[in-house]
Amino acid sequence: MRLIPIPREEYEAYRLNLMFDCYKWDPQFLDHNTIAKYALVITKEEHEQLSEWTEKLDEETRAAELVLNGDRKLAGPLALPKKLSKELQRMDNYDPGGHVRLMRYDFHPTTEGGWAVSEVNSDVPGGFAEASLMPEEARIRLKESSLWYINFGDILVKAIADKVPEGGRIMLVHCTSYSDDRQVMQFLGDALKEKGFHVIYGAADHIHFREKQAHSILDGNEGKLDAIIRFTPLEWLTEIRPKKWDGYFDTTTVSCNHPVAIYAQTKRFPLVWDALEQKGVCLDTWRKLLPDTLEVKDAKGKEGYIYKPACGRVGENISIKEACWEGEYDKIMKDVKRHPKKYLAQKRFYSRPLAGQDGEQYHVCLGSYTVQGKHAGYYARITESQRIDSNAADIPVLIERSGERDDR
Amino acid sequence: MTDKEIYQIWAPYGKKWTDWVRPVPFVGLREHSSKYRFSNLNVPVVALEEKEREGAAVIVDLPGVESVKVGIALAEIGFRPVPVYNGTIEQQGARATVDNQAVGVGLIWGASALSAIEIGEDAPPAFLLDTNRLNRFKMEDALFDNSWDIYPQDLPSAEYLMKSGIYRIVIISSRLSRDLAKILYGFQKKGIRICITDGYESPRNIKIRRPIKKD
Repeated sequence: MRLIPIPREEYEAYRLNLMFDCYKWDPQFLDHNTIAKYALVITKEEHEQLSEWTEKLDEETRAAELVLNGDRKLAGPLALPKKLSKELQRMDNYDPGGHVRLMRYDFHPTTEGGWAVSEVNSDVPGGFAEASLMPEEARIRLKESSLWYINFGDILVKAIADKVPEGGRIMLVHCTSYSDDRQVMQFLGDALKEKGFHVIYGAADHIHFREKQAHSILDGNEGKLDAIIRFTPLEWLTEIRPKKWDGYFDTTTVSCNHPVAIYAQTKRFPLVWDALEQKGVCLDTWRKLLPDTLEVKDAKGKEGYIYKPACGRVGENISIKEACWEGEYDKIMKDVKRHPKKYLAQKRFYSRPLAGQDGEQYHVCLGSYTVQGKHAGYYARITESQRIDSNAADIPVLIERSGERDDR
Repeated sequence: MTDKEIYQIWAPYGKKWTDWVRPVPFVGLREHSSKYRFSNLNVPVVALEEKEREGAAVIVDLPGVESVKVGIALAEIGFRPVPVYNGTIEQQGARATVDNQAVGVGLIWGASALSAIEIGEDAPPAFLLDTNRLNRFKMEDALFDNSWDIYPQDLPSAEYLMKSGIYRIVIISSRLSRDLAKILYGFQKKGIRICITDGYESPRNIKIRRPIKKD
């Protein structure tokens, strides 16, 4: 795995095209440029290994969520928010074959020479356009046709098209006030529109459920829906008043993702592994790649553990001390103490940085998608800090063909 | 001019502060703003004395096109206008809480005006915001809520501003919006002074109270 720089003279056009043609509408976060000046190149062997692990992790995760959904007593240690827990029984009718399952597993190269997985984005993984259009734009700038990439968008659209009738009405559910959410949905919406689907951009409360069927109540776009593509996280859904969102849990309308995703979305998922294994679920790949995870109380006095919020996103509130902003570490630790069930303790791994062209060092988070159980491409971010959070820059992932390497 | 060319006039690559220009209103700009006609697109006078501009960045928080017009007026007196509009377009056929497309006409008009103005390399920033972004009231659940807030991550940090010689923020608005208050409270804590003017009177210092935590 290595970084190759986007030629300096090409970067302006690259950035401009990403914003205007590739749905990258958030190129800046505070003082940080979120469009990397590099492409990430992985070898054929790395790709094969990651893709194999990703599919195995996915198989284990889907098996785990089925068992948890069938025996919800096992889910106790997940300590899911009360409002969500109350709705889980609605998922008795969950049929995996009726929905589209999308997940992203976050891999990190470690100083020990291997890989660690930090989490699965099971509920609403993002980065769609970055994983689909950005690599092509990079290839053009690098004039590098020997490197290839997986177009995530094509795979997701095909999976949706396999489940939804031709010309079907699909609502792309997101927080309509956030352009960062809309850019993800707009990419997918345009791709679905091209395939002849009727795409509706709406918010979670624009869907009402009648006899387990989703119906749009959005002004001027009312009527039955054939699919729901949700980008509003489940734990945000439960804040909506009046409560009409419970229908998401037992709808028979094709959903991506169905709320069954919550079992693995919580970072406390490893705390139910022992029980799942007793029920015959194989979690060997997870055990191999995810660092040791404990209840907060069990990590007391143990060296080398960090704390992560169970419902955290984009690296927020992870207690990697040197990566925290001023006062953040103390704030996190105070909250861990106050709400231990909202956190977990995890053995810290040390990320192996990659070298930039001027000697700078970048840490990588390589997200690897699955759609319907099959590997579906990559979304990566890099940063100079050990913690990959909102300050990180998006970077396209390109794959070497067999035995080929361009060392320019 | 294409959407990209208009964006490049507002955000010439490599110039200070232009990294914060949000592309959102520029994407599909020509298409979205084609149905608008404004006749009163002229540059107003901004009452900001030279001594009031010293070490100051400006945040223009006015309704729709007015904010763009004041941005151009500020460019004429040495500021770099930085549009940070971030509202999305509603679903076709749906009524929305905010008309986020209206600033587009201003951005197209402003691009022509701006290309005739020479902005200094060290020009301080004037961030442009549309006050209408906060129109969140929904008469019916069926409406499309495309109201939006400005967040700390949409602007430079207080440290970056101070390192760039900015120790005062002048808000041009009829009132301090609650989303801005949250950001500026943080700036104030770090030692940046906050002033407000309606654009006619001299800016007056304000002290922002600690915002209530719950959104």
